This record gives sequence, C-alpha cells and structure tokens, in this order.
Amino acid sequence: MASTMRPLVQVARQATRSTLPTLERSTIRTLSSQNAFPALRNKTAHSAHVQTLRSNGVASQRSFSSTSLRAKARTMGQLKARNSTGPFSWKSALLFVLTGGAMIIYFRVEKERIARKRVAEMSKGVGRPKVGGPFVLKDLNGNQYTEEDLKGKYSLVYFGFTHCPDICPDELDKMAEVIDRVKEETKGENIFLPVFVTCDPVRDTPEVLRSYLQEFHSDIIGLTGTYEQVKHMCKQYRVYFSTPQNVNPGEDYLVDHSIYFYLMDPDNDFVECIGRQDTPESASQLIMQHINDWKREGKPLRKD
Amino acid sequence: MGWLPWSSESKTNTASDGGRIAPDRSSRQKCWEGRDMFFSCLDNNNILDAIKDDKEARRKCGKEIAEFETACSRAWVKYFKEKRVMEYNRDKTIERIKNEDAAKVQDLKSQGWAPR
Repeated sequence: MASTMRPLVQVARQATRSTLPTLERSTIRTLSSQNAFPALRNKTAHSAHVQTLRSNGVASQRSFSSTSLRAKARTMGQLKARNSTGPFSWKSALLFVLTGGAMIIYFRVEKERIARKRVAEMSKGVGRPKVGGPFVLKDLNGNQYTEEDLKGKYSLVYFGFTHCPDICPDELDKMAEVIDRVKEETKGENIFLPVFVTCDPVRDTPEVLRSYLQEFHSDIIGLTGTYEQVKHMCKQYRVYFSTPQNVNPGEDYLVDHSIYFYLMDPDNDFVECIGRQDTPESASQLIMQHINDWKREGKPLRKD
Repeated sequence: MGWLPWSSESKTNTASDGGRIAPDRSSRQKCWEGRDMFFSCLDNNNILDAIKDDKEARRKCGKEIAEFETACSRAWVKYFKEKRVMEYNRDKTIERIKNEDAAKVQDLKSQGWAPR
C-alpha cells in the first residue's frame, strides 16, 4: 500500500497545478496593468508573459495552455467567487479519487505481471540454469518427435510410467482437467501441447502408452524412445532417471522419477514448475496468465 | 483375477509388441481399495511396518493381505507398505518439529520476546 501512496500524492499535486494556468491567464486579462496577484508562484515567468502581452497584443495569450478558455470574469467579484474555493472542488476531488483508484488497480496488475515475467525469463539468456533442450523421441504413431515440434506453442511436459502406483494417475487426472480448462479459455486455438514422456521405455511401448493415456485425455501426446533417448531426454529436463536397463522379462519394478509438470514457452524455454500442491484451477490459471502475457507482448504463436 | 500374475506365460498382460500392460483405471481402483482395507486392519492391530512385522500382519490380517496381494502387483505391494512407514515417520517428524517450535516460542516469550 505504501508504495502506491507516493504516486497518488504526485497526481494530487499535478491536479492542483493544472488549474493554475487558467488562473494566471484570467489575471492577466483583467489585471494586466495591476500585476499584483498574491497567488502567483513564478514572478519572473509572469512578468515576462505580461511583457509579451503588452507588445504583441492579445493574440499570444493562449501560448501556454491548450485548455479551452473559461468564461471571462468581468469584475473582481466574479474573479474572487470563482477562485474562492482555491484549486479544490468536487470535480477535482472526484478526479483525484478516480485516478487514485485506477492507479492502485493498475499498479497491482502490473506488479503481478512483472513478477511472472521475471519467472518466465529466469531460464532465458546466458548463464542461466537450463531446463529442456534438444531431444529425439518417437510419438505413438512411430513418427520422430523433437523439440522443434514443441516450438511455437506452450507445452506442459510430464515424465512418468504406466506402472506408476498412485502419484502419476492422480497427476494425469489433473493434467486432463488442465487441458480442458486451457482449451476452453484459449477457445480451441490449439496453442497448448500436453506431453507425457515415459521413463520406462522397455515396458511402455507405443501401444501400451496409447491405451494408458486414452484413459486420461485423448489430447495427451505420448512420447517414448530407446533407453538412451529417454535417458537423454530426462537429462535435458534435469529429471532423475533410475530406470534399470537390463531387466528380465516378467520382472516387476518401479521407477523413481520427477513428479513435476514443466511448463515450456513457445521458444521451448522453461517457464515454471507445476507440482503436487497445485490444483487444476491454480495450474490452468497460471498457464493462462503466461499465455496471455505472451500474447500481449505480440510474440508469435503457432496455431496449426 | 485381475492383471496380477506377472508370470512370463501370462499372455493377457502382454501387448502385441512385447510390452507389458500396466493396470487400467478399474484395476488401479481395485488395488487401492485392497490397500486401504489392509491398512485399516493394520491400524486396528497396531502394526506399522507390514514388511518387518510380516508374520504378525499375515496372522492378524490374513484375509485382507491376501486380497491386497491379489489386487496389486508385487512391486506395488512393496511400494505401498514402504510408503505407509515413510508417511508415518514423516508425519511424526513434522509434529515433533511443530512441538519443538511451539516450546521454543513459549520459552522466548517467557524471556520477554514478542513475535513480530
């Protein structure tokens, strides 16, 4: 609150100041010879103005102001009546409150936006920790899928495996809800890619993965690959990778993996993590805020 | 009985390309239900670690553990048993730290310190 108070004081000061030129001008018109108005703040400027008035006539009187002239005061009485309240009136009070209110709202919105921007740009530029990067995997149709396919859209990358006991199914249900919410809010612009990368490529073949993901949401893009490709992908995203490489067929095992969603921007730079603490509401709100920030800055999005 | 037996002969759990199929939504649900039944039985009998106290758990909750082990794969059974112990210890630790914090604040307050 304290930070918004100072600009408000400045606004008030400006509001009072803006009424002064009119006041000076009317003084000049009626009292040009008298030259003795006590409220004048800047004497030298005023006398210079008066001198130009005297030499050039009335034509130059509009030079300092673009506001329309008020009705001319004929007598000292009218002048006094007009200025008896000083610069304060109901109008200026209302203006003050409205401007103040508008600025408080503006500053709050802007503050939040800048905080998000800082988070979003944390992983951009040189010398920043890099999450994400080039990778080569296969989608469920057996086509090659690389980081290029993610560019131009926001993507939400999740690592998991189909034999995951309890956390992944919960998180994937959440992901499904986020997908629907984002879809609704972007009005089907197709600028959001939900991606599921398996950490367990030996058991999670495209066929297995397809029927597994179908249970959650048909939009989720399932990615798999060779053991080495998946390991590389996990390394790019700084995901702990513990899949045993040589397991006997029929052996049952679990995989430790990261339980975070990674939100990546259209440059495929890491933006933010979405974790267990987020609800579908908070997660989709966060994603929409970043998408809207990106749009507001006029940066390109791929909508195919 | 569900998808459980991970024996190599079992064809039903194998995809055509050789991958083993993971439980679907309904079998997951079944497994979780079996787990909850078994754990509530453990709670009633004051057993925390079903791996360490395996014999006692089997004696007292024989029916539940049989159902649990049928509904879930071996790896899951082990995972859930370990998780139960881990969560118990975690909650205990959190509680202990909270109590210690409260005691510390009380102590400081008695010395004339006021929280900001």
